[in-house]
This record gives sequence, C-alpha cells and structure tokens, in this order.
Amino acid sequence: MNGTDLVALGPLLALGAAAVVTLLSIAVRRHQRATATIAGLGLVAAACALPAAADVAPRQVTALVRIDDFALLYIGLFLAAAFATIVLAHDDLRRRAEPHREEFHVLVLLSTLGACVLATSTHFASFFLGLETSSVALYALIAYPRSGPAHAEAGLKYLLLAGASSAFLLFGMALVYADLGALSFDGFAAALLAGRGTPALVWPALALVVAGASFKLAVAPFHMWVPDVYQGAPAPVTGFLATVSKGAVLAALLRLFVALGGVERPVVVWTFGALAVTSMLAGNLLALSQRSLKRLLACSSVAHLGYVLVAFLAAAPVALEAVTWYLVAYFVTTLAAFGVVTVLAGGDREADALDDYRGLFWRRPWLAALLTGCLLSLAGIPLTAGFLAKFYALAAGTSEARWALVVALVVNSALSAFYYLRVVVAMAAPAPAAAPARRVPLGAGVLLAVLALLLVGLGVYPAALTALIRATATALS
Amino acid sequence: MNVMFYVAAVVAVACTVRVVTHVNGVHALLYFVVSLFAVATIFYLIGAPFVAALELIVYAGAIMVLFIFVVMLLNRGPQSVAQERSWLNPRAWVGPTALSLVLAVEVGILLFAGDLELETQTRVAPKEVGITLLGPYLLAVEIASMLLLAGLVGAYHLGREGGREGGREGAHREPGAGR
Repeated sequence: MNGTDLVALGPLLALGAAAVVTLLSIAVRRHQRATATIAGLGLVAAACALPAAADVAPRQVTALVRIDDFALLYIGLFLAAAFATIVLAHDDLRRRAEPHREEFHVLVLLSTLGACVLATSTHFASFFLGLETSSVALYALIAYPRSGPAHAEAGLKYLLLAGASSAFLLFGMALVYADLGALSFDGFAAALLAGRGTPALVWPALALVVAGASFKLAVAPFHMWVPDVYQGAPAPVTGFLATVSKGAVLAALLRLFVALGGVERPVVVWTFGALAVTSMLAGNLLALSQRSLKRLLACSSVAHLGYVLVAFLAAAPVALEAVTWYLVAYFVTTLAAFGVVTVLAGGDREADALDDYRGLFWRRPWLAALLTGCLLSLAGIPLTAGFLAKFYALAAGTSEARWALVVALVVNSALSAFYYLRVVVAMAAPAPAAAPARRVPLGAGVLLAVLALLLVGLGVYPAALTALIRATATALS
Repeated sequence: MNVMFYVAAVVAVACTVRVVTHVNGVHALLYFVVSLFAVATIFYLIGAPFVAALELIVYAGAIMVLFIFVVMLLNRGPQSVAQERSWLNPRAWVGPTALSLVLAVEVGILLFAGDLELETQTRVAPKEVGITLLGPYLLAVEIASMLLLAGLVGAYHLGREGGREGGREGAHREPGAGR
C-alpha cells in the first residue's frame, strides 16, 4: 500500500477519522449542536476527498476494495444522504429532549462508512464487513430513543432478521470458498468461467447470497420486517435505513453480478424477475390498507425495490445507468418524505397516522406541497425525479424485451398511484382544529428546500445527472 | 481423518440445536461452550491450529465468561440462590459433559497418534495468519475495528439504564426484565 492508495482511500479514511474525532469530542464535552456540526464537517471533509480520489481512480487497493468512478458516485450519494440524516436528526433529537443524544451522530458516521465500504467492495470479506458495520450501527440507531418500548422492539426485530440474513450470506460465501477457493469477485468469476464450479454448490451459494442481500433490500418475500421497523424507528433513521443501507447493498450486488456477467444467465434472470414481481405486488397490495404514513412508505419501498430489480436485470451498462438513476431519485424522494415526517412531529409523538395529515394543505401549505411532490415522484408522475427513474426502469426492461416484467411494472405503478393519491386527498380535506404547530428549524428548512429543488430539478433537467452517471457506468462494465 | 471431522461436526450441530431449544439461559450457555469446543476441534483437524487456539481463548474463554457474567448479573435478588442451585442438578450438566468427553477423546487420539489431520491440507501457522491479516487483509482489520466501535457505542447507549439522568417515565427498565 502506497501514497496513491491512501489518496484513493481518502473518502473512507476521512469518514473513519470523522467518527473517531466525533467520539472524542463527546468525551471532552457533551453538546448536541457541536457534535452534529463536527459530524457534518466530517462528512464534508470526506466529500472533499472525493475529487482527489477520482483523479487516481480506477484503482484496486488490496484485493478487498476497488475505488472507481462507480464507487465514488455511490460514496458521494451516501455522504449526502448521511448529511441530510444528521441535519434532520438534530431537530428530531432536540425535540425528544433525552439525555445522551450525541452518540447518534457517531453511529450515523459509522453506518455510512460501512455503506461506503460496500460500494467499493470487490471481495466477499469486505462485502460482509461493510454490511455488518452498516447494520450494527443501524441496530442502535433504530432503537436510539429510550422513551417507550416501540423503538427497542423495532431495533430488536431488525437485529434478529439482519442476524439471520447475515448467516445466510456467510453460508453462501463459505460454500463459494469451499468449492472454488476464491473469495474475490474476480476470482469467483474466473473460476466459474474456467468451468471449475460444481453446480450443486455454486448455485445454492449464490441463492444464499441473494437471499441474504434480499433481506437487507427488503425484497418480497424477505420484506416482513419492513413495516414494523420503519414505523418503530425515529423518522430520520427510517430515511437513512431506506436509502443508504439499501443503496449500499444494491451497489455491492451490482458489482458482484457485473463481475460474474451472470445477469444474462437464465437462472439469475428468473430469480431476480420473480423477486421483482413478488416485491411489486406484495408491496403495493400491503400499502393499500395502511393507516400509517410510515408503514405506507415502508410497503411502497418494497415495491420500489421491485422496480429497481427490473432495471437491474438489463445488460450491464444499461442496468448500471438505470439502477443508479433510480437510486438517486429514490434517495431524494425518500429523504424528503421522511424529512417532512420529522419536522411535522410535535410534542412527544411523530406525525405517523394518516389522520395527522388531514387538512395539512390549510395548516402547513409548504410542507404539504413538498410531501405531495414526494408522493407524486414515488408514483412516477411527470416533472418529478421519480417519473424519469421509472422511465429508465421501463427502458431497461424493454431493452431486453422482458415484457412480463414491463407489464408488471406498469400495472403496479397504476395500482400504487391509488394509495399515494389517498394521502394527497387526505391532506386536501378540510382542516380539523389542530394544536399550534412547531416551527420548522432553519437547518431542516434549508435541507427540505434543497431536496424539493432536486426533486423537481431532476425531473425537468435530467441531462446533468445522466451525463454524470453515464461516465461512471463505463467504469464498472 | 474424515471420521474425526464428522464426529466433531455432529457434536457441534447437536450442541447448537440445544442452545437454540433450551429455555434455560445458563444451560444453553453450557451447550454453547461445547459447541465452540467442537468448532475448535474442526479447525485443528483441517490444519489451522492457530485459529483453533484463538477459538478457544477468545470465544470459549473470554466471550463465554462475559455471557455468564451478564446472566449472573441479571439474576440479582433472593430467589437467585435457589435458582442457581437448580442449575447444578445432574440433568443439566450430563449432556454437555458427555459431548465434551467425545471431543476430549478425539483430541486425545490426535495428540497421541500424531499426524491424523485431514489429507491434502496445508498447515496454517500463526506467522502466516499474521502476515495475511496485516498484508492483503489490512483493510479488513481496519473495517472490523470500525465494526467493533459501532457495536461498542451502540451497546453503551442501549445498555445505559434509561432515565437515570433525567429521562422520562417510560425509559425506566426493570433489571432483568429482558430475560
């Protein structure tokens, strides 16, 4: 390992250092705003290390990690999402007025570090370690508020199911190693191409890896934990879980399957196709009957991962472009939606039930407008980022002439519009007499404004993002 | 020595099943120790004596003691004496002891019969483990340290007795209520 390697690893090193510095600052003095500022500056420092790393990319640093434009784009995305989470959480933690709020930011930094490692991993060891770092920090984040048992219950559910999924993943990796003696993605692919794999071991191994990853992605039929955990976690953490944790696993899966060149194999196509269709159907059908906005967004996220998998199945360059576009749009929309949920919380409870949103247009017109924008984007209405994302997914599906998946996507989009619009209708209903609302704090207000601009901006002028993604997609394939 | 491997593997699986199915925490822990012994034996059999030793020292030694401390600490109060006495009845320790004896016989055979390791295996000496960890897997060690930091901070936060420092009503926890 030499100096250039360290430059390439710069963003990861800065992020790790930021976590340690934040922890030490807590040891010196507990101060919620100062800790949040230090953590935020750490994320900015990691982002500042990105251009320098891009100059030396692509670069393989040991067998574990590969820094290329694809990884750096995802790292940038995770850093931005973590920044948004810290801004929102600052407001949320202040409202909860509990002692010991500062460690939250350390955990966000560590979870982000794990996600960034996942995006760069080219080896099962770094895949697993990154995944575990991201999840272990999330267990604590989900259960972070100590008031009431709901958060602890959600944390425990996530702990148990994530533990089980890690066991699946590890067993799959062990089978790969037992059969081929390789743990790096390239070594795995090379051994498969050379025809050394025993089908009776390799296919179950891949199935176990996919099952383990599907738990994390919350793809049906591995989605049981999603509604409870989304509802039980504090809203900023839910936003973080929905975006960074899932995006990271998807990035690692993309890398694995591009290395394997396996997305073209019929077995893989059938598996992911089945997962995509069940996810879309299960997510949308479950969402129809939800009375809580967080649960509704949880079920809709199951469906959205189904849409992403349709894009995932296209040939490599198209798939990379479509999946990344979808993820960026999904990140912006989801963070904005959970941001609105965060700032609408009042007193000692979150604004979760749909009834809390009745008449929101008359009480808080700006927030209601933003939430409407998010829901329309999730439904894939034109002029929003979500429309182009869905358009990309459709284009990716048609490029391979997978008409069954395309039809499923269209039918499910129509189905989903119903429950998204139900929330909008509730918001436009006459307002009941409500308690005076909390003011939106400055930081969260600015963040939501930026997200709103992105939401519409990406929908109206997508060329800049498309060019950026296209440049990175060539790095991987 | 495939037979030795299968015996140790059966012991490991049987113990782990008992860990999962046992309702009594301490008895489950006893089986868990034996399960770790069995895994260590397997590591030794496939030519990784250093990892086998680590498995014994770190898992069966340090981590198990930690587990037992936690279980003991959760059982404060007058009824715990009677409870601890009930843990010591023969039915509790006969099973783990018998399974450990199987492993002890295996280790004895290995020690006295010399080279009975599985064929076609290379021995991995401590030096090679060290070189691999601090060479190609250096980043893995660093990431693992961050993983442990996340676990530590999370455990510190969640393990703190809530509400002691001015939290709200709901944050109070009964000691041992999680059992």
